Amino acid sequence: MATDTQPPRLARPATRTMGRSVLLTLPIVLWSFLMFGNPSVHQDLQAHIAGAMTAVFMIVLFFMMMKTGTTYRWRRWFFVSLGLLFPIGFIHNVIAMRGTMGIPVEEMIAGRTPFCFMPIPLLILPAAFTRTLVFPGSILPNGGMSGSGIAAMVGLWLAITLVIGKGWCSYACFFGGIEEGIAAVPKRAKIRKIDPRWRYLPWAVLLAMVLLSLALFEPAYCMWLCPFKAVSEYVAARNTVGLIQNGIFVLLFAGLVIALPLLTKKRTQCSFFCPFGAFQSIFNKTSIFEVKIDQSRCKPCVLCQNACPNMSLSKESVARGEALMSCMKCGACVDACPRQAVVWHIKGTDVAWKPERARLMFLYAAWAMAVMFGGSIIAQGIATILHFLA
Amino acid sequence: MRLRAKLGYTAAGLTVLAALLTPFLLYGLIAKGFVGLGLHVDEMYSGGPKLRSVQKGDYSITIHRAVYPHLLQSENSFVQLDWSPVSALPAHVSDAVDIDGDGQPDVRVSFDVPSDPKAQLRVNVEPLNPRYQAMRDVEKGRFSRLIVRVDNAILVRVPLAKP
Repeated sequence: MATDTQPPRLARPATRTMGRSVLLTLPIVLWSFLMFGNPSVHQDLQAHIAGAMTAVFMIVLFFMMMKTGTTYRWRRWFFVSLGLLFPIGFIHNVIAMRGTMGIPVEEMIAGRTPFCFMPIPLLILPAAFTRTLVFPGSILPNGGMSGSGIAAMVGLWLAITLVIGKGWCSYACFFGGIEEGIAAVPKRAKIRKIDPRWRYLPWAVLLAMVLLSLALFEPAYCMWLCPFKAVSEYVAARNTVGLIQNGIFVLLFAGLVIALPLLTKKRTQCSFFCPFGAFQSIFNKTSIFEVKIDQSRCKPCVLCQNACPNMSLSKESVARGEALMSCMKCGACVDACPRQAVVWHIKGTDVAWKPERARLMFLYAAWAMAVMFGGSIIAQGIATILHFLA
Repeated sequence: MRLRAKLGYTAAGLTVLAALLTPFLLYGLIAKGFVGLGLHVDEMYSGGPKLRSVQKGDYSITIHRAVYPHLLQSENSFVQLDWSPVSALPAHVSDAVDIDGDGQPDVRVSFDVPSDPKAQLRVNVEPLNPRYQAMRDVEKGRFSRLIVRVDNAILVRVPLAKP
């Protein structure tokens, strides 16, 4: 009798007509024009073409989200492109400016080390106790190697985080796309049973790195553990310690970003290691958007848990009707649920009440950030490729 | 609609507005606020504030304040000396430098200035005051004892003797 009381299985509610989908995409068309249509930003023809290609790419993906009512696979196209094109643009940039991917000590002393978002949690305690930033960069927004100092990245990070919380890890992080792309390659996971306790490891890494950064007065994660140093820039190996550091970067990249995603079909670096992701989880508590489970529709089938790329749904959390605080808002679980029980949600509203409205509001905010931040990185990567082809 | 739901939608609307304002206003405001915190980059990297300059013919030597390591930082304390401009330096520099400003030279610093700006530099430092450590053929292995060329200056970091 229990099945009789459950709501009937619904057709996907958000499949829209062409006209309505176009209408809903218009704000993103306008936004993309604002972000990529300024001729003063782009210097040459290749950059103009790259900007136009990126704008079209982002508009088409958003249109498909509107048309099909699904989010994950279209977002994944963007995110994987971001992950693959970031190293191309970045490495080309550093090699053009300093001739090597290794950070020379001269550049550190000159405060020209590019600042990515990863060290942000590591800077907090030393800054709080001594007003000192333990990073060899420039504080000024227009400082640093390519005019993007620490203040610029902190400004972008905090603004985007205020808007989408841990959605940063699905719409802005320029590293996660590499493993998301690799995780998408195999048809089936070879390792399916993963001990859920591994989920706590990023918190342990975060705590250890924050304390070590305070004690050693250096960005400990960047110096010793960041797998993405292998595809961005690394400590120039001036001595044996430098060689060991670079060896660790390559091993972690090979293990966490290539091998394990291939075996598990999960974003293993993000799920089980990334201290920034753990730190970012805190901001899911302040974000107005979240993923909820409508328990009146849910028939615990674990499809959502299997679909989640970073194990942010557990049996217990589904029973509570919510995702864990590590949820990256990628939309995989929402798309995977055949009963539309997993829904986008605005805090304070009833769970089952107009989830598509919540999805739209979240996607407008998230996609605006994706076009602005990720889009500019994609455009730089495409421009680099066009430069090589020209 | 309940009050909580109204508040939720209002907050969501404000969030979308914040997203739209990010590139034009919000990002710049946060960045400016961050700069306004008055933080500074660790002196182990930046070399500490400049104390004074000594003119030596066509070039000058800038003396920085001594930098001391924090907590478990794996570096010695040091003093940074800058020779600039590089274009005015002779092929071989050997200068006695009064670091503490008492009128007596504290170290003699010697290095060659190769014409190739990418060439590896090596420095010798002879301490004339027991407060400073000697350096022999040192390149750039550690932040607290090195010689590097940064833009139009050659920087030498002389480690302080341990007390």
